[in-house]
Amino acid sequence: MAIDREQIIKEMSQMKVQGDESGIIEGFNVFITQLSTDFWQGFADKLLSNLDPDLKEATEYLLVNAAQVCGYHTGYGIIASDDWKKIVGPMIENVEDVLHGAFAIFTAWAWANAEIVELIPGKKMVVRAYNYYEADVAKYGKTEPKAYMIRGVSAAFFALAYAGEYDPDSEKYNAFSCEQTKGIECGDEYGEFIVTPNTNI
Amino acid sequence: MAESKNKTLLLENIFNDKTRRKYINGVQTVFHCHHFISLYTQLAIDIDETQILKETAEESFYNTLTKYFSENNIVDFNDKVNLACDYYKAVGMGEITVENITLYSGVVKSTSAHIDKGWMAKWGKYDKPVNYIGCGYISAMFAVALNKPFNSYETIEQKSIVKGDEYTLFKIVRK
Repeated sequence: MAIDREQIIKEMSQMKVQGDESGIIEGFNVFITQLSTDFWQGFADKLLSNLDPDLKEATEYLLVNAAQVCGYHTGYGIIASDDWKKIVGPMIENVEDVLHGAFAIFTAWAWANAEIVELIPGKKMVVRAYNYYEADVAKYGKTEPKAYMIRGVSAAFFALAYAGEYDPDSEKYNAFSCEQTKGIECGDEYGEFIVTPNTNI
Repeated sequence: MAESKNKTLLLENIFNDKTRRKYINGVQTVFHCHHFISLYTQLAIDIDETQILKETAEESFYNTLTKYFSENNIVDFNDKVNLACDYYKAVGMGEITVENITLYSGVVKSTSAHIDKGWMAKWGKYDKPVNYIGCGYISAMFAVALNKPFNSYETIEQKSIVKGDEYTLFKIVRK
């Protein structure tokens, strides 16, 4: 594999952005904020804890879906960007390299220290996350899996690689789904995420 | 009030190579896009839990602003308000201008907001305000600037860009 993951992380993690005169950060095909991780995980945790248990599964689905939509559009913005072309582009030999490169940026942007450990093109991807902010919600004991963002973005990146050409108006972002099988918040050593074709569409 | 800018907002961005986490002024942060924030907000609206969104934002920003002012020895009221407005802008939330603050209320105007801009890019105009995170931020800003505890202020949007108004007008009232 031609991808130099550490080099990509080193270069892309140095990106510093700031709102313009109107307080807007625009880049990678989207508008961006840089808010605290405790806000994002706090909202998800409070929301789910406050809900009627009958609504929990649907709400978890929507939290994953938010990340999946985000991952599809932002992911495309990343791989179409000048930074990508300059830093990652020369390392790319095939679609699988694009995916590995995308997860290096996933790490550089502090979404999670995550990498692909198994990849069957178009069929299955296993991602391990060794350190991720969504696990911070657990302070004592073990919880249920709570890495909704990693699930959504992993499925979205796989869709960008194997669901055909990017189409912002399509449902392609939802071509694959991701289940979390292990989690630091659950007491495991790392988080594990398995992406497979979405059989519900 | 808040007419002169005596203090410049300091932003120390650090990426921890070992943990692979990112910090601004010692607060762990993460990039997210307008799709993410719009869908989280829509979820809160759909299940009638916008107050959780607002209060979680307030708690988070209350801690962020308190930490910054404490570590940088910011004690002047005007400096706190100005720096809080600058921070809002720096992290990509948009632009806010404080029109007035009284002992029990206040008015803040915004001509640009990440959530409104992103929401409209995604779905177009909406019949209700959507900037609950901004409301939480402003409640936190008032509480910290006026040395009040968390959850001392309620902020609502009286005008809203996403509804078609020229600007968003936040009304703040002491609880």
